[in-house]
Amino acid sequence: MESTTIEKIVEVDKHIGCAVSGLMADSRTMIDRARVECQNHWFVYNESMSVESCAQATIAIQFGDSDDDGAAMSRPFGVAILFAGIDEKGPQLYHMDPSGTFVEFDAKAIGSGSEGAQQSLQEMYHRSMTLSEATTAALTILKQVMEEKLNSSNVEVMTMTPTNFFHMFTKEQVEEALKLVAIQEQSKGDLRSIVSTAEVMSIK
Amino acid sequence: MFSTYDTFSAPSFWQNGPSPGVIYNFPGSQTGNSHLFQHSQAPVTTATSIVAITFNKGVLIAGDMLGSYGSLARFRNCPRIMKVNDNVILGAGGDYADFQYVKDFIDQKVIDEQCLDDGFIMKPKSLYCWLTRIMYNRRSKFDPFWNNFVVGGLQDGEPFLGTIDKLGTSYEDKTICTGYGAYMATPLLRDAMDKNPNPTEQEARDLVNRCMEVLYYRDARSFPKYQLAVITADGVSIEGPLEVKQNWNLAHMIH
Amino acid sequence: MASVANPSFPDYSTQAPTQHMFSPYADNGGSVVAIAGDDFVIIGADTRLSAGFSIYTREQNKLFRLSDNTVLGCAGCWCDTLTLTRILKARMQMYEQEHNKTMSTTAAAQMLSTMLYYKRFFPYYISNILVGLDNEGKGCVYSYDPIGHCERASYRAGGSAGALLQPLLDNQIGLKNMQNVTNKTVTLDRALAVVKDVFISAAERDIYTGDKIMIIIITKNGIKEDSFDLRKD
Repeated sequence: MESTTIEKIVEVDKHIGCAVSGLMADSRTMIDRARVECQNHWFVYNESMSVESCAQATIAIQFGDSDDDGAAMSRPFGVAILFAGIDEKGPQLYHMDPSGTFVEFDAKAIGSGSEGAQQSLQEMYHRSMTLSEATTAALTILKQVMEEKLNSSNVEVMTMTPTNFFHMFTKEQVEEALKLVAIQEQSKGDLRSIVSTAEVMSIK
Repeated sequence: MFSTYDTFSAPSFWQNGPSPGVIYNFPGSQTGNSHLFQHSQAPVTTATSIVAITFNKGVLIAGDMLGSYGSLARFRNCPRIMKVNDNVILGAGGDYADFQYVKDFIDQKVIDEQCLDDGFIMKPKSLYCWLTRIMYNRRSKFDPFWNNFVVGGLQDGEPFLGTIDKLGTSYEDKTICTGYGAYMATPLLRDAMDKNPNPTEQEARDLVNRCMEVLYYRDARSFPKYQLAVITADGVSIEGPLEVKQNWNLAHMIH
Repeated sequence: MASVANPSFPDYSTQAPTQHMFSPYADNGGSVVAIAGDDFVIIGADTRLSAGFSIYTREQNKLFRLSDNTVLGCAGCWCDTLTLTRILKARMQMYEQEHNKTMSTTAAAQMLSTMLYYKRFFPYYISNILVGLDNEGKGCVYSYDPIGHCERASYRAGGSAGALLQPLLDNQIGLKNMQNVTNKTVTLDRALAVVKDVFISAAERDIYTGDKIMIIIITKNGIKEDSFDLRKD
């Protein structure tokens, strides 16, 4: 299988990215909607859509609110989505589950290994993490909960920062990040900074 | 959302227009534009001016009872001031058939409201706004109601007077006259209101009667028989048919 | 390949007004003038509503408060103005409920443009001037044509006396074609005085402008309203 054809992290707009887990076909539908909503918001208001509004607009298709298009979908969408974005309130991370509920988080794990991962996030996360700390932490946790061995072709990393917005790691950057994970495991390093970041990651 | 776009595609650029990413034929390239039809658009049986004024405790609306068929004084007993409910009176000029149609509509609205039996009754500003929307919608379909409406009533204890034309143009004022009244009666009423901004009911009646007289002398589509509706906190009364007191003593001096 | 020659794609319609003697538009006159400064914006509109040679009313407000720091001034077809401003008010409220914040002046400006263009083939016949404070607190003036062209300016005259007043503003506010002028920023007092002067002049020459002007001044402290009498003939 060509692993690069499966994308679990996608760009919705320059300032909003999504990570999904569950039925990928359903997620495409929702992401399409999210993208249309973001562009429409920009078209009508000449401003970027807030992350919360984007999440809200995305769940709206579940309930068929597109008034004259008639009935709602006959089943709920089988996906959990993480919305990561930068808006006027700063970095924002929203989690949406198949019921359509969406909640803001500082750190969140979804998918098959999410229970263990969330536990580890609880321990590792603190509000003054640097971007590289967060990247390393996320990959470390991913490594713990994943059955396969982590490598640059079975993991995607995306960062959402106030300066660069949506940035998908290249293969080289992923390898770099994985190297840091290995080093840190040997010598529990300690980094501090004030850069705030919302990050999502996903396994491939 | 206002837009009527499909869930997964971008909204159209303009009303009933193309959406991005969709392929179309050029408009009009398809044969048989059978959906185009001509609306018959000219008033037939018409009524002339409405004269209305607010006074310290209420509103007064007057209009004659002639239904003209072009220049023919065809129908001589056309009442065109209606009591909507205890709060609202409505006067109409222009096409009489359109007025009757709208009147039936309003009467049904009032009945529907009474059926709810919730103690609420329509207020003048509600009817005024509703009529504005109705008129604007019809003009937007190129099929207007050919009328001028004048809505009078009491809202929150204050006299209300507003008017709507066939385009959905609407405004409120202390004196309103439509048709030829706008040219001949409005100046008389505005002048009187400048001198006495808060007339009593009797003063207002005298003013309106005078206006009806002047209009009868000079408006060729007018009639000496008219109705006068008064709304105060005590309720609505529609008086008439009243008669214009004619005085042609001056006539021999006009050549 | 006959199906390629005449494929059955959906058709779309335009709402071009055609072959009707009835005109859905009226010119109800009225003028609007707006001037922006570094930390304020001022907008004025006369209160005369007219059609042809008759004055419908002498006190029709043509300034619409869309939010605490955005105001729209309208002149032209009054029935379209009534409809547009009602829809705008609804859209402002829907935005507030959907996004949990008040629409900014810049967002309102863009939204108005799309709303006008949406009626491209049956336009709202209105000269719109939208004013407010932008995200940096600077005064801004947006002016529109009836089908949604939008441009940001620092001063603008629109409506029936728009063509009469714009050159006057170019001179007095824009300081165009003047020699040895240095002061480029306009003060609130100066802007207010110019707005009044300019309307007095318009009332002299334009029969559709007169009676009174309503003035709205927006600063960081909020909205202030004022009025000023013009000639009533």
